[in-house]
Amino acid sequence: MKNNLVDLRRAQGMTQADLAACLEVSRQSIIAIEKGKFDPSLSLALKIARLFDRPVEEIFQDES
Amino acid sequence: MNRFLDAILVRGLPEKDKRNANRVNLWAFGWMLSLLALSLLGIGEKQGLSLVALALLALHVLCGLCLILSYRRFLRLLDEMERKIQLEALALSVGVTIVAFSTASVLGQYNIIPPLNTAALVALMALTYMGGLIVGRLRLT
Repeated sequence: MKNNLVDLRRAQGMTQADLAACLEVSRQSIIAIEKGKFDPSLSLALKIARLFDRPVEEIFQDES
Repeated sequence: MNRFLDAILVRGLPEKDKRNANRVNLWAFGWMLSLLALSLLGIGEKQGLSLVALALLALHVLCGLCLILSYRRFLRLLDEMERKIQLEALALSVGVTIVAFSTASVLGQYNIIPPLNTAALVALMALTYMGGLIVGRLRLT
């Protein structure tokens, strides 16, 4: 899955560590999600969407 | 090099996960110490279990049970990516151990290699588990 998490995070002036703390996950998870190496669970994706106040499909897009 | 060190040292885990991991490590250390003490005691005692050995055995079982429970709690509360890495490492560890030991037991039956002992089983499981964790972390980050 592709995502624009890096842009959204930077627009909010957040570091990867800040975002990790907000979402209660490791910084490694944020790195992996941003690189598209790890797809978050539905609950984590919803948490991210709520945090940035965007619909999930605007943040995450299916690559197929 | 930094990525490799990050993979080994698990930098950046949330505090609760670090606390839970430390609890698991503490029980694993206790389990290992009690096993070591039992083994050393067993060298001198040839006839049955003494009271000290029995107490050590009870401590060993208790540490083992606490290790299992603390690891289960650690896994349940873990960050979801780290949980995936842990489960894949466990699967690798169990798979490699089963394949290696079934092969070794067949070779042992044909007297090609000497019979294997339990220490080798534990060592193989631990090494493949640790290898799986490092490879998983390097792959995902």
